[in-house]
Amino acid sequence: MTEREAGGATTGAQAEAPVVLEMRGITKAFGPVKANDNISITLHRGEILGLLGENGAGKSTLMKILYGLYKPDSGAIFIDGEEVEIHDPKDAVSRGIGMVHQHFTLIPPLTVAENIVLGAEPRKGFSLDLEGAVKATEELSERYGLVVDPRARVADLSVGVQQRVEILKTLYREARILVLDEPTAVLTPQETEDLFAVLKELVADGLSIIFITHKLGELLGISDRITIIRDGHVVATVVTAETDERELARLMVGRDVLLRVEKTETKPGEPRLAAEELVVLSNTGARAVDAVSLEVRSGEILGVAGVDGNGQTELADALAGVRYAESGRVYLDGEDVTALGSDPRQERGLAYVPEDRASKGLVQDFALYENNSLKTYDEPPFSRWGWIFPKVMRRRAAENLRAYDVRPPDPEARARSLSGGNQQKAILAREFSDDPGVIIASQPTRGVDVGAIEFIHRQLLEQRSEGKAILLISLELEEVRSLSDRIVVIYAGRIVGEVGPDATDEELGLLMAGREEKST
Amino acid sequence: MDDVLTSLGTLFASTIRNATPLIFAALGGMFSERSGVVNIGLEGLMLISAFAGVVGASLAGSALVGLGFALAAGLIFALIHALMCITFEADQIISGTAINLLALGGTGFLMVQIFGSGGTSPRVPGFKEVPIPLLSDIPLIGPALFNQSLLVYLMYLLIPITWFAVFRTPFGLRLRATGEVPEAVDTAGVSVSRMRYYGVALSGLLAACGGVYLSMGILSAFTEGMTNGRGFIALAALIFGRWNPIGAAGAALLFGFAQAVTFQAPQEVIPLEFIQMLPYILTIVVLAGFGGRAIAPAAIGKPYRHE
Amino acid sequence: MSEERREPEETRSPAFRRWMANAAGALIFPLIAILISFAIGAVIMLVTGNNPVTAFGALLRGAFGSPLAIGRTLLNATPLVFTGLAVAVAFRAGLFNIGGEGQFFIGAITAAVVGAYLGSLGVFGMVLALAACALAGFLWGAIPGFLKAYFGAHEVITTIMLNYVGIYLATYLALNPFRSEGLVPGTEAIDLTARIPFLAAGLGRANYGFVFALVAAAAVYLLLWRTKRGFEIRAVGLSPGAASYAGMGIGLNTVLALAIGGSLAALGGGEEVLGVYGKMSIPFVENIGFNGIGVALLGRNHPVGVILGAILFGGMTAGAQEMQFSTNVPLQLTDVLLAVILLLVTATKLVELIVGKRARALAGTRLEGGL
Repeated sequence: MTEREAGGATTGAQAEAPVVLEMRGITKAFGPVKANDNISITLHRGEILGLLGENGAGKSTLMKILYGLYKPDSGAIFIDGEEVEIHDPKDAVSRGIGMVHQHFTLIPPLTVAENIVLGAEPRKGFSLDLEGAVKATEELSERYGLVVDPRARVADLSVGVQQRVEILKTLYREARILVLDEPTAVLTPQETEDLFAVLKELVADGLSIIFITHKLGELLGISDRITIIRDGHVVATVVTAETDERELARLMVGRDVLLRVEKTETKPGEPRLAAEELVVLSNTGARAVDAVSLEVRSGEILGVAGVDGNGQTELADALAGVRYAESGRVYLDGEDVTALGSDPRQERGLAYVPEDRASKGLVQDFALYENNSLKTYDEPPFSRWGWIFPKVMRRRAAENLRAYDVRPPDPEARARSLSGGNQQKAILAREFSDDPGVIIASQPTRGVDVGAIEFIHRQLLEQRSEGKAILLISLELEEVRSLSDRIVVIYAGRIVGEVGPDATDEELGLLMAGREEKST
Repeated sequence: MDDVLTSLGTLFASTIRNATPLIFAALGGMFSERSGVVNIGLEGLMLISAFAGVVGASLAGSALVGLGFALAAGLIFALIHALMCITFEADQIISGTAINLLALGGTGFLMVQIFGSGGTSPRVPGFKEVPIPLLSDIPLIGPALFNQSLLVYLMYLLIPITWFAVFRTPFGLRLRATGEVPEAVDTAGVSVSRMRYYGVALSGLLAACGGVYLSMGILSAFTEGMTNGRGFIALAALIFGRWNPIGAAGAALLFGFAQAVTFQAPQEVIPLEFIQMLPYILTIVVLAGFGGRAIAPAAIGKPYRHE
Repeated sequence: MSEERREPEETRSPAFRRWMANAAGALIFPLIAILISFAIGAVIMLVTGNNPVTAFGALLRGAFGSPLAIGRTLLNATPLVFTGLAVAVAFRAGLFNIGGEGQFFIGAITAAVVGAYLGSLGVFGMVLALAACALAGFLWGAIPGFLKAYFGAHEVITTIMLNYVGIYLATYLALNPFRSEGLVPGTEAIDLTARIPFLAAGLGRANYGFVFALVAAAAVYLLLWRTKRGFEIRAVGLSPGAASYAGMGIGLNTVLALAIGGSLAALGGGEEVLGVYGKMSIPFVENIGFNGIGVALLGRNHPVGVILGAILFGGMTAGAQEMQFSTNVPLQLTDVLLAVILLLVTATKLVELIVGKRARALAGTRLEGGL
């Protein structure tokens, strides 16, 4: 990524422009969790406001409220000074709000023009005025510099061009306020440049833009002001020209220190898990893991930090043998296991706690004893000559469930009936009780209550002191810091740096935002 | 030589007659499936409409009234399927199967109640052949294409009309979108449920035309179970034709030809049953991907929950 | 001593009670559907000028009112158990097996031909015929499995298509290469010694095929809940994601589930030939494969449920004749009632409206036998 001067791309005149959108005191809770806690933001005409925060900070919820998908528990929305109530997306659109989601809602077999006019089609009598649609598309395309071929099928377009179609959809409906949710997550650097050029055109024409992202470097290049959101509330709003990366990183990432679990000293031994120039493709064919090399030694926890979607899933899957590696090697206790699937790796002592416990870690409608034997059902003493012995499975499950504090420790209970924390503990019970040598744990405490988090952390540390090699992938910086002996940061599929657990928020934040380590 | 020509002429005419109910049902199936609702109940829809048409014609002494009854029956049964699948989120396959069962049992039951006995109903006024002057005199294909029942002429018109409706109207655009990415339609402010109801309703109306032709365009009476799998052949034609009206009609024509040949060709050449199997084997081949995979509308078969 | 005793009892009792509660919960839903359907039937009867009480009475009499009636019910139910199991096994793997009809016919022709040729071997011939038809069904069922696993072809359509291919193929074979010289079109009659023997004098033509069906149901139970293969099939059906993460092969289990289903439906056809008709005549009994879908659905895809569902279907068909005979209510009404039951069982939201929200939770209960 190229170095950007801290100074923003536009002049500061926008601050005096009229306020076109204000969200005041927005609060929204989902059960006990407050996704938005008294959030207030303002947007001026012709400005680009950056909304910066980590995953789960509350940015998406706020924008969904703006777009009419959620109703706030309290707070008000003002458009052009007038208080409004937005009941659904149709309402939002009619008030000039346009949203480009992270996941496009385009229809692949249809053409660009058809996608754009869907729902507000130009007509000629009974028929669809396709020519009119094409013309309208071309006009908008020219006016804002969004190069598209109106007659092309969306399925044939690159992601960058598809995004232009999404933007055109909003412009066709005369949006004056445009919200972009993580727009550059799917773009190449070149496409990002093109997008920024388009955005500048749009604001020159009087549109106002909210740009949601976790990539603070980009915000410095494109926004006028930045509002930082953390844990559901606004931490600060700064003028881009007056801030820099370090400050943004600190604001975005710093948090109250949680309980730190006692960590004993261990002496790491031989590497038990190693990856060498590993390349893994994502489901769309892109390089999700780009020549990653790492090693985890016995008695050590290697933490992998990074923002969601930078290749963690594919890395964990490939190391566990669940996903095919395009190139590179994986070693388990010195043995090259690259060609082996997950079953043989599990037999060699590899345990995998996947990030998606609901649909990949457990069979929700199986009983706990069946889930407990999900990998061992075909081995003695649970199975012989093709038969399985549920009684034996139940007995073993009862022991495991009690040992790992699963509540209720009932082997017959269906996995679905357990809380998130207990489901996770049940997975741990299965994976750890077989005495594995290497453990890959991906987001082990996501969506888990505090008590269970503490238990899981203690379990991981216990395994560590027994000499296991543990690879911990987590989006929670505090978790990574308190458990790991070493930390690597992954960004866009590459390891961009290695630090110790005592690294500062700034250091970590910068690495997570993609700034490679610079020697000072 | 004359013999061969007459045989060919009969073959073509027979092909059109066989293909007509298939084309109607396939076009109907297309509207339903394009909107995202699987409709394997085409068989039942055709059967119930065939019966209703005969009932109406016998009551009022008019084929047109019969057609009205048939359309009503097809619509009502289709709406049952729609209600089950869209509003009550029932499994679409099972609902379709139940519709077939309901039609089979229902027609048998009503045959006894209304006409006094099972088997075949008494004769009713039907849709006889109406030759189009001049065009029906064209050698060989003239009589085959233009000396047919009014319903057949309706079918000719419906092919381009449905093509136009699906690919050149806003309604068609929204319908196709609903079957591919219902979320996109929802966000554009169009009701997914409403589009699907339209799609299924149209399938009922069109399948009804097919059913009415079976009972009143060829025989002028209703026989129990007379659809005899045609609803499934129509489904096969739809898939073979890649959910496109022209393609489906072409496939149905092919299947109709296969059926016509079984009655005319000497049995020693190819056994009857193998020709009867042909439409189904071809469809499987197409589904497996030979000749380009037939890909159904992406959102088909899954209920849509408006978040 | 008493402390050691306590543990096993403790774990068995609540587990058994929970199983009973699950079973009851799973059955209540179809029961409600049946009651509503019968209520609708009563309305139809009243509207057409009949007395529902006498009509339903005749229905029950014709189904269970005498040993002969019970025999008729068993006779009808037997092939339905097989085709119902065929659908149930596939469902457990998350697949729709609509191909029971074609698989049934393939099984019938295989049993008819092998039985005719090996009839002189008596019981051994019968066993060989049944084995052959199970094998034929296995291979036939593997076709859509293979097409799904390796080409992604949806099994609903391929099984429907194969139905017709199977029916026509069997018909061709019965009318041409294997045609008998008799008056009735179809295969040679099978030697009496190679047929499935009758159950008991008072039960009419009911035969040991019903016992075979029960054995098949028991075998399916054991397969699904006591073997490695069954464990995998169920895991794949309930969560393909977790199953593949645990190293199970989705493709292999897809093929096997459909192949086993094909095998079961074929056995149904074989049973009809070897136990009831003694040959495969054309036209052959129809719709048994399709009705297997309803049976499996009513029985919640569990072997015990399938047996009960088959008895319900079989009883209603047997009783319908008596009903028509005594009261002039056309026997096709039972088809209508069965279709309504099917609709209600699958439209959980509708029954919920009628009976209240708790029905929804019950509908979600799958009958998981695990003792």
